[in-house]
Amino acid sequence: MIQFIEGPLWYLALTVFVVGVAWRIIALVTMKRPADLSEARSGSSGAGGAVKAIIQHSVPHGGNLGRTLYHFVTGYLFHVGLLVLILFAAPHVEFIQERLIGADIGWPKLPRWGFIIAAEAAFAGLILLYVHRLTDPVKKQLSDIDDHLGVWLTFIVMLTGCLALQEAHAGLRAFHLLTVEALMIYFPFSRLIHAFTFLLSRARTGATYGRRGFAP
Amino acid sequence: MTVEPGTIAPDNRPVNVQAAVDKMDALLGGHIASYLDACVHCGQCAQACHFHEATQNPRHTPALKLLPMTRVYRRNKSPFSGLKKALGLAPEITEQELRDWEPLIFDTCTMCARCTVVCPMAIDIASVVAATRQAFVAAGLGPPDLLQAADNARDKGSPLGVTPEVLEDRVEWLADDNEIEIPLDKDKADVLLTVSSIEMMKYPDSVVAMAKLLNTAGVDWTLSSKGYEATNFGVLSGKSDVAKIMVERIAAAAEAVNAKTVVVPECGHAYGVLRWSGANLLGRELPFQVLHITEYLADLKRQGRLKFKPYTEQAVTYHDPCQISRRGGATADARYLLDGFASDFREMTPTGNFNWCCGGGGGVQAMARAADVRHEVFRIKMAQVEATGAPALVSACANCRLTMDESKAALKWDKELISIVEMLADNLDVPAES
Amino acid sequence: MARLSLSALGRRIAPGWRTNDRRSVSSWPGAIVVLMALAVVLASAPAAHAQQTLPDPDQIKSQGMATPGGSVRPPANAVNLPDTSGSSVRRPGETGRPAPAMTVPGNAVGNESVTESLWDRVRHGQRGAVVVPGAEQGVLIQSAGEEWRLIRNDQVVHYGGMLLLAVLTAIVLFYLIRGRIKIEGGRSGLVIPRFTLAQRIAHWFAATLFVLLALSGLIILFGKSVLLPVLGPTGFAVVASASMQGHNLFGPLFLPAVLAILVLFIKGNAPRAVDVSWLFKAGGLFGSHASAGKYNAGQKLWFLMTIILGVAISVSGFVLLFPDFIAERSQAQLANLAHGIAAVIFIAVGIGHAYIGSLGMEGAFEAMSTGTVDTNWAKEHHDIWYAEHKGQAMADTGRAEVEAGAAGDGVMHGVRP
Repeated sequence: MIQFIEGPLWYLALTVFVVGVAWRIIALVTMKRPADLSEARSGSSGAGGAVKAIIQHSVPHGGNLGRTLYHFVTGYLFHVGLLVLILFAAPHVEFIQERLIGADIGWPKLPRWGFIIAAEAAFAGLILLYVHRLTDPVKKQLSDIDDHLGVWLTFIVMLTGCLALQEAHAGLRAFHLLTVEALMIYFPFSRLIHAFTFLLSRARTGATYGRRGFAP
Repeated sequence: MTVEPGTIAPDNRPVNVQAAVDKMDALLGGHIASYLDACVHCGQCAQACHFHEATQNPRHTPALKLLPMTRVYRRNKSPFSGLKKALGLAPEITEQELRDWEPLIFDTCTMCARCTVVCPMAIDIASVVAATRQAFVAAGLGPPDLLQAADNARDKGSPLGVTPEVLEDRVEWLADDNEIEIPLDKDKADVLLTVSSIEMMKYPDSVVAMAKLLNTAGVDWTLSSKGYEATNFGVLSGKSDVAKIMVERIAAAAEAVNAKTVVVPECGHAYGVLRWSGANLLGRELPFQVLHITEYLADLKRQGRLKFKPYTEQAVTYHDPCQISRRGGATADARYLLDGFASDFREMTPTGNFNWCCGGGGGVQAMARAADVRHEVFRIKMAQVEATGAPALVSACANCRLTMDESKAALKWDKELISIVEMLADNLDVPAES
Repeated sequence: MARLSLSALGRRIAPGWRTNDRRSVSSWPGAIVVLMALAVVLASAPAAHAQQTLPDPDQIKSQGMATPGGSVRPPANAVNLPDTSGSSVRRPGETGRPAPAMTVPGNAVGNESVTESLWDRVRHGQRGAVVVPGAEQGVLIQSAGEEWRLIRNDQVVHYGGMLLLAVLTAIVLFYLIRGRIKIEGGRSGLVIPRFTLAQRIAHWFAATLFVLLALSGLIILFGKSVLLPVLGPTGFAVVASASMQGHNLFGPLFLPAVLAILVLFIKGNAPRAVDVSWLFKAGGLFGSHASAGKYNAGQKLWFLMTIILGVAISVSGFVLLFPDFIAERSQAQLANLAHGIAAVIFIAVGIGHAYIGSLGMEGAFEAMSTGTVDTNWAKEHHDIWYAEHKGQAMADTGRAEVEAGAAGDGVMHGVRP
């Protein structure tokens, strides 16, 4: 069982993830619309607007900070925490080196205290965001099954990862990997794809409006 | 707080669901698809939307307005759509759903793009709503008065019935009454001025003011009976054929007089449509530049062709029309005009590109059934103005002005509304005859 | 001082443990440490350089100890260390029982000592002189460790388990006899906002952590008695390791959650006269009506308990998580006992709270889900509060939910335009 999870299933999940994400991104990029024939405002360009929008929409702007503080704080806690865990947790770096890139390429591994801080942040952020989704009337109404599944899968992946933290039991490690594989297979079919499409969305608005002089 | 525009009385209009789906399918390009794939249902847009803020009804969450397109996308277009369809995860849109969505797409969206500012994904919901309106119209839905306005524009030349003959009459009357020259149908002119029928019928002083300013600056300009209506209810109502006709008329008029510049009057969406969508609607680049009247007057002021006496009567604040500032990029020009002119100028919070909408943009002004909710929305503006302490509110959009005038009357508000063009014309510093 | 009292407590509640040979012998790695540590003391006596005789760091690490002179058994949290080569992880086939000592001179536990030998003094925790600075460096064997272990594994597990079982039984019996407490007047269809969005978020954040921590904590505390026989050593090792890691990770988040509860719920939780009669009537659980304001006396006690136990558990938890910041091992042992006892009580009452807030009472759960309650529910359970708020009653539940969410919620909604 463990061999299956670490072997064939891993490669299946990886394939579904890579091909699925690539397919969706390529589909979005190739769905073109006619060129904008309007004359850009002098001194303004679509490319500049795209870059600006990507940066600007990373933080609340336009006087919206106060009203979106909850999302800002919890959102960053979760996303930064998770990203740090995925990329810098020592077992992850080792796994990536072992499975994907080889031992020659590497980057610093998170010390134990760093792991704990990142994990606390990610868990606090995710739980707070999800509890808000369950209680806020606006979010309750927007949410569909995909939103819930995505959160639960992510939470379970993080949970199993932390339960395996001792790295003493092959079973716990395999269980974590199994949940990761489930997440990777689900990913391209779901809203989790926003991890990639956020760039596209921001860039498109930025490019459209950047040439007008201001991108909202 | 009892205003609820979320429902429309049952009616017997036949609804062609397939036509709506086909239209959305056709309009769903890479931009809209990217937006639909990026929305994570965080709901932050609700806090940026004046309709949500005024009603506190979660139904008026902007992200919800993406739903019709999302459904079509998921079923027909997205990668894996076949899989989702097969699994029953992408149900067909029903007639009832279209009816339920109608007020969200029309009555409670002014396409102001405040939601885009707050959106972490920068989703341009306004443009998706504009496309969705086309689909609803194709299905036979949409507020009757808004659609009628579009038809009027197509058939009579203007949504408010300003036919070329009416235009001629009104121009003659205004010129006589105000002892001012208003050129109509000159053979050649550098500048083609367009008007909004709201001004022609309700705020004619504004037309006179424009004439006075252009004349004083010595501009070679004209109005044209071939193409004079700046508003474009084709775009607002989702009637793309009408939208194109309206742009064609102005382009033809401008080309006929060989105008290098077409000036759009105090009207937000007229500027947005002609300046940023005109060429795309026509399918070719425009052989002239399009400027909003504030942009053009700012140019004249920069060149020293217009000088103004300081305005010291009262403190004023400025309302940014969404389509001119946030979605138009011309935010700075109105400020350049007010700078050094209005001696006590106070900015609202938020202001400029982040200003709150008046509540009547995107054609909502023309929907009678949305009047109550508009008035509720206007309370946001009232609070903003009152916070500045200024007794007067200056703006550069006749549609905003009409919206605010109506709400002002409905709510018995005592602040003054001023058109920036009229304010400038009244305070021209005319040099001694040379 | 703390160690003394713990010691005394241990003797009082666990008399005779010294003659119980089941626990009388340390495991062999422990014995090695003892020997090494003994060597350190002996070597340091003539002021030799202590450094030279310290065991090499890898060995110390493998024993799960930072310094020589640890307790007889490796501390429970020794398994934190990523190094798995050591003996701290029980191997398959090994039982929970320690293996007999092999090379310890005399009686390893010292329970039959006749003369006051060096070994006896060391075994009973006498402090020697060392050149290595540090509070406990001179202590070779922290004798109280065994007492702590017995209190935890016998008393706390025994009485704690009884308490939890009793609570569960009581709830089941209550449900069978009394059934779900219905809204007597039926639903009126009118609702009143009760809890703001911020309050509900704080509640569910704390509740989520509570459940995660309670489950993992119960496995840590009771696992050896309950799960080990069922899962066997290998299976239990996995579950215990996972629980401990999870518990350690979620733990620190509980303090901010409790503090948020304190800030957001303190209003309305001050004691008032009506609470006394509410308590006398047992909250009307058995019939008679008991008046109450926004919170009844039971809720106020639960609030108080949440804060006090929550802070106590958090503080003791931090002591256990960061032992580097405490002076003596005995403090960790006391902290561990306090942590376990407080947690068992917290969980026991928490089960009751969860029951009455959901299955046990019609109309209660929605207060924390949508933030609104039916007016008849309010009338029956919080009549004084109802009288003050009936003006806010409305039939539009969606609107009420929005207003509940918006009420006094600067954090969630910022300043309205």
